[in-house]
Amino acid sequence: MSDTMSSTTVATVKRPNLINSLFPSVISGIVLGVVGAALAGLLVNRITTAFSPDSVPNDDAVTAAVYTAWVLFFFIGIGAFNGVFKWAFARREPTPAEELQLAGKDQGLWRYFRFTTDHKVVGMQYLATVFVLFFFGSMGAFMIRLEQSRPGAIFFNPQTYNTIVGMHGIIMIATTIIMVSGPFGNFILPIMIGARDMAFPRLNALSYWLLFAAIPIFFSTLALGGFPTGWTGYAPLAVQELTPGMDAYCFTILVFAISTTVAAMNIITTVMVMRTKGMTWGRLPILVWGVVLSVILSLTAFPSFIVSQIMVLMDRIFNTSFFLAASGGSNWLYEHLFWFMGHPEVYVIALPAMAVAAELTAVFARKPLFGYRLLVGGLVGISVLSVIVWGHHLYTSGSENALVAPYMLDTELISIPTGIFFLVLVGTLWRGKIWLTVPMLFVCGLLVNFVIGGITGIYLADLPTDEILHGGMFVTAHFHFTLVGAGVFGFFAGLYYWFPKMVGKRLDPLLGRLHFWLFEIGFVGTFTALFYAGLQGEPRWSANVAPPFATPNLIASLFAILIAASVFTFIYNVIHTLMRGEHAVANEWGAKTLEWTVPTPVPLENFEELPVVTSLPYGYGSPLPESPVTPAADIAGAITQAPVQPQAED
Amino acid sequence: MSEANIGGNAGSASPAEPRHLRRVLIIWAVLSVIGIAIWLAVAQFILPQAASSLDGADNFTFLVLTVLAVPVSLFVFVFLGYSLIVFRVQGRPTEDGVPLQPRPSLQIGWLGVTSLLCLFLLIWGLIAFYQETSAASTSNTLAVQVTAQQWQWTFNYPQYNATSAGAQVIELPVNRPVEFYVTSKDVLHGFSIRALGVRVDANPGEVTTTAVITPTQIGSYTVQCVELCGLFHSDMWEAVNVVSADSFNSWIISQGGHL
Repeated sequence: MSDTMSSTTVATVKRPNLINSLFPSVISGIVLGVVGAALAGLLVNRITTAFSPDSVPNDDAVTAAVYTAWVLFFFIGIGAFNGVFKWAFARREPTPAEELQLAGKDQGLWRYFRFTTDHKVVGMQYLATVFVLFFFGSMGAFMIRLEQSRPGAIFFNPQTYNTIVGMHGIIMIATTIIMVSGPFGNFILPIMIGARDMAFPRLNALSYWLLFAAIPIFFSTLALGGFPTGWTGYAPLAVQELTPGMDAYCFTILVFAISTTVAAMNIITTVMVMRTKGMTWGRLPILVWGVVLSVILSLTAFPSFIVSQIMVLMDRIFNTSFFLAASGGSNWLYEHLFWFMGHPEVYVIALPAMAVAAELTAVFARKPLFGYRLLVGGLVGISVLSVIVWGHHLYTSGSENALVAPYMLDTELISIPTGIFFLVLVGTLWRGKIWLTVPMLFVCGLLVNFVIGGITGIYLADLPTDEILHGGMFVTAHFHFTLVGAGVFGFFAGLYYWFPKMVGKRLDPLLGRLHFWLFEIGFVGTFTALFYAGLQGEPRWSANVAPPFATPNLIASLFAILIAASVFTFIYNVIHTLMRGEHAVANEWGAKTLEWTVPTPVPLENFEELPVVTSLPYGYGSPLPESPVTPAADIAGAITQAPVQPQAED
Repeated sequence: MSEANIGGNAGSASPAEPRHLRRVLIIWAVLSVIGIAIWLAVAQFILPQAASSLDGADNFTFLVLTVLAVPVSLFVFVFLGYSLIVFRVQGRPTEDGVPLQPRPSLQIGWLGVTSLLCLFLLIWGLIAFYQETSAASTSNTLAVQVTAQQWQWTFNYPQYNATSAGAQVIELPVNRPVEFYVTSKDVLHGFSIRALGVRVDANPGEVTTTAVITPTQIGSYTVQCVELCGLFHSDMWEAVNVVSADSFNSWIISQGGHL
């Protein structure tokens, strides 16, 4: 505990040694990465010019070389390979002191800018990145709503508009994938299972910095002409596109998918082998189940995304023809590869958010989960079924009609385990002592939005209605209700809940309530209007609104102002809290999961002595209403820990 | 009703406690009836006008699914709302809630009810779909070859040797079955005429045949692209007029065809 206290003083003592603190760090990484990228770009430019019959460089090959070199040299510069290098060539094992140095001991704030292995540092890095990406993504959304407020082109030409739509899509999809598993999966999850760190701390840092390296690649598309395909990157349009902005899209996906894969393997291994004594699978907090099932699903889904983007790059760079009908390829190949990732990916986003909602409902209704095993079964059911539902994205692809029946069966089956989630949450709230805090408000918003998102999914799952809605605004509104209404609301619920533990300060509840109501009203208004537009037949992705759909689009844009206001309310709340927020106590909400038993700020290595777990962390209320009243402390004592940490009660 | 067990093992709550479960179920039933009635009253204003029997059937499925959706979503909304109003504690709770656990009968009942709903959706969807696609083309059926390219639609009428190329509008005859053969010259496009209920991808290198559709309403509609196809995707729409047989014949001749 003392090391965090003294970190600032030690950092000032070390300050004279500037070289030591700059190398390795993100600064040396960026410097080396840029230099390496420039050299590689120059080299490939020369080579392709020399070998080209008409002395023109292959722009796509140059771009690919630049991105590859950027990632490689960035990692050399940030010191990602130092550990491997030392392991291979040094004559001795690293000492515990060196490992702690790598984990960011006594480095103050600078540890957030280095290849630091402490899971809490990685969690905070993810959190900050999620904030920044959400900000850019939501700005993209407002530009879209601004452009769509009136018919015809107002602010952007179609090329800019298509790029904005694609960037908004990719930023939001990527961010929602990491928003729970990144910050909470790294910071909270290891403490929840009673571990001192992740199973592979270096891989943990690697997964974050891969994400970091993908961000400049992605934004470089703006300098390279953008990409016209939207977030789905459909080939052959992606192959036809001449500007190298498309390569930025493909490379972003590659680097991001590798980052997610590394993180997924790490989280799975951590939960398998790092659980503390007594933390059986049947006693895992539900968040852990949600995150683990989500990352298992991403391990299944993302390889096909990686493969599809490598194929697009090969079509673009080497003139292969995986997707070109004229020379034997097929656009259906891309669609299947993409949606084999694309649909499970929706559940990669939804599962952790649903788990956050369940975790918080038990705490704020002061009740055990209504059917913990039922819910685990439901989550497992969703993750298994979600692997086989991708076909409904190809209902109208012109494939054989006989395929419709199995596609439809799989898709509709998944509503059964999803229904379990609602039974468990409604049952948990029923006759509870509901404490309507800001996190709980977001959970309620999630329930409302997820019902709407789920029910409207039925119309798209049933072919007779899908054939009037497919590819239209109804689809856009539907998946925003699931990804934002359920996903992002779940993230905010978790954020208001765990922020006191992660940062040590309480987010202002009044501003939090304002944030919630602006967001919920604006969100429901915006996308209800778009449901209506979609039902009238408005297609997705249209840069210019056709006149018949002007009114619902204007209404949607007006409601989007409320969402914009909620974003800025939230930003103000975070800044306000960081500067002069109240300090949080160790167990802010009186919850019973392990992360609330450690002090705030959480010390390096989390626990002085590893706790022993004897039951589920939802021991609220007496076991049976008829039984004599048992002191609450006894049930809370289900988690025994010695020596008892100083724990503030309020 | 499986939900009736939601009280679980807390059936013996204190007698002063009102009968929450009965109350909430009554509220749910009443609101569901009101909700369905409202939907049936406003549906005709919300659903767009159908210009073919196929689109009419699709709209009807939409109507039926919504009638089902209203009580299902209200079930969660009413339980959530009731809990938040009745069981809410002002400030930090000093005591815990009743630790209810679901009985096996409730769990199995819930799974049974949701499975039945699911089964209904599947059977309804499949029957409706195969009915729509079962109409066979006859000698009277008009064949239309639809070609998508960046960023326009061309309709060819091989029976008349005519093409829509160069025309301001595309025309189809009323009350005559039509079958579209859809393909693309370059990238993936989405062929859609909302009022006729036809929506299928235009794949490069493949010809997709749609169901046989009979336009039943004279009027002006649009053919739109519903797959992002590049720069001017949003401008890729054209007017499709459903006209009388006579007007159609004269339009065909004006487009260079022979009757």
